[in-house]
Amino acid sequence: MTGIEIAGLTKRYGGRTAVDGLTFTVEPGRVTGFLGPNGAGKSTTMRMILGLDRPDAGRVRVGGRPYVAAPWPMREVGALLDARAVHGSRTARDHLLWLAHSNALGTGRVDEVLRLVGLDSVARQRAGTFSLGMSQRLGIAAALLGDPRALLFDEPVNGLDPEGIKWIRELMRGLADDGRTVLVSSHLMSEMALTADHLVIIGRGRLIADVGMREFVRHSSGVLVRADDRETLARHLSEAGGQVEPGPDGALVVAGLDARQIGRVALEAGVVLSELTPQRLSLEEAYLRLTHDSLEFQGAAA
Amino acid sequence: MNTFRAEWTKFRTVPSNLATLLVAVGLMVGLGALTAYRAGEGHQAGGVFDATYISMYGGFLFAQTVVGTLGVLVVTSEYVTGMIRTSLTVTPRRGRLLAAKVAMFAGLALVAGEVASFASFLLGQAAIGAAGAPTAALGQPGVLRAVAGMGLIWALVGLVGVALGCLLRGTMIAVTVLVAVNFIIPIIGPRLMPEPAGEALQTYWPISAGLQVTTTVQAAERLTPWAGLGVLAAFTVVLLALAFAVFRRRDA
Repeated sequence: MTGIEIAGLTKRYGGRTAVDGLTFTVEPGRVTGFLGPNGAGKSTTMRMILGLDRPDAGRVRVGGRPYVAAPWPMREVGALLDARAVHGSRTARDHLLWLAHSNALGTGRVDEVLRLVGLDSVARQRAGTFSLGMSQRLGIAAALLGDPRALLFDEPVNGLDPEGIKWIRELMRGLADDGRTVLVSSHLMSEMALTADHLVIIGRGRLIADVGMREFVRHSSGVLVRADDRETLARHLSEAGGQVEPGPDGALVVAGLDARQIGRVALEAGVVLSELTPQRLSLEEAYLRLTHDSLEFQGAAA
Repeated sequence: MNTFRAEWTKFRTVPSNLATLLVAVGLMVGLGALTAYRAGEGHQAGGVFDATYISMYGGFLFAQTVVGTLGVLVVTSEYVTGMIRTSLTVTPRRGRLLAAKVAMFAGLALVAGEVASFASFLLGQAAIGAAGAPTAALGQPGVLRAVAGMGLIWALVGLVGVALGCLLRGTMIAVTVLVAVNFIIPIIGPRLMPEPAGEALQTYWPISAGLQVTTTVQAAERLTPWAGLGVLAAFTVVLLALAFAVFRRRDA
């Protein structure tokens, strides 16, 4: 199957490093959420996967070879980078038609994907008259046209109504369940929480986390602990495999151990607990905590 | 071949493209006949009168800008819309993509150019005859070469447009350079320059040299028809080579 391997990928624009030594693999059969704040390098990375931008260092392999070497690129990868990047005077069907011709695909397939994305009734309308939602659907039709083994979607839900968002979500799920490789970028954790099986989180062009959704959820929960002898307890908790961080007002926030395990550690260490409160960060909070330090443009109110 | 077919589909599915090409043919034939009639009226017995060249040149001056602009648009319309990334995603081999564009547009401009040249020659001869000046016929020496050669010039001018579009990416800047190279410099330039430089410009400037192929009366100080066309062809090839080199390396 067509996995995507990224190794040491680096891209500089002038003095700015947009992507900085990025290494990760996108596995087939699951939806990989590609997360990061705006400007983190997600789009640049996707462009380099497709050979649109030339990396300054590192390499990308799609199905074990550079994308440019694919004999039938559309059967390898389908990509939606910018839904508005169509010529406005061409009809939706004609846009798909030239794409089909470029990879020797039949006209039948064009009508098939038009039905699949629900644009068959407006197939002969000029793409310039489409709403953003319709353009997104056209872009997705283009990505699916070659029945590709890997799909890249760059911020596919931007500007979509709730119904459209739900549709894209189910589509991505279905594509992954088919055994395809699905990489979808977003700057919203809430979006990924509902779709992704795996997360690749980047900030300032660097890898922050490459983690399964389930593990990320586990890490995003913690237990707030207050104790008489904070230092002793912290040491024992660490030894027991917990991740201990200072919390508010002298409390500890412990991840990786549940309340019962913490109580047992405290008992064995002979430390008196005054509070033991399981907490659950929202995924959004956990994500923000991860990416906070790497935020490129710290706005007043993000 | 698939890439070529895709380029042709791209071109023909934007309705204004073929319409613009028809406008170019119409300009060449219509304005050609008009200027040919005026030139026929001004004809004086005993002077040099190249009825073949005159029947086509007046219309060509206008048509060439349209053809060149269309060549520019074949590339820049993709940069302006961002579609170039889609094109390069489905055809990541860049040389192949640009070669398909070049072949598609060269073929199209050649066909349109031959149609326009022959039509403008025939109508132009009728206009010249109506004005009472001596006309040319396709059977006369050099006439067929001149008329068919004008079609070749169309293809080359179109390719100069494609190359400029690729090198400059913006429609405005590419068309501006195109008009300067094929219109302003060769026509206004010689009038602004001292005699020797102006003469050299008229002889060796690519489009001026190339148009020698459309003459049937050889001026002593100008290049021969095929040498002249060779200069324009070489210029076009150099521009295209630059375009390929840049297109291969550049981030899309």
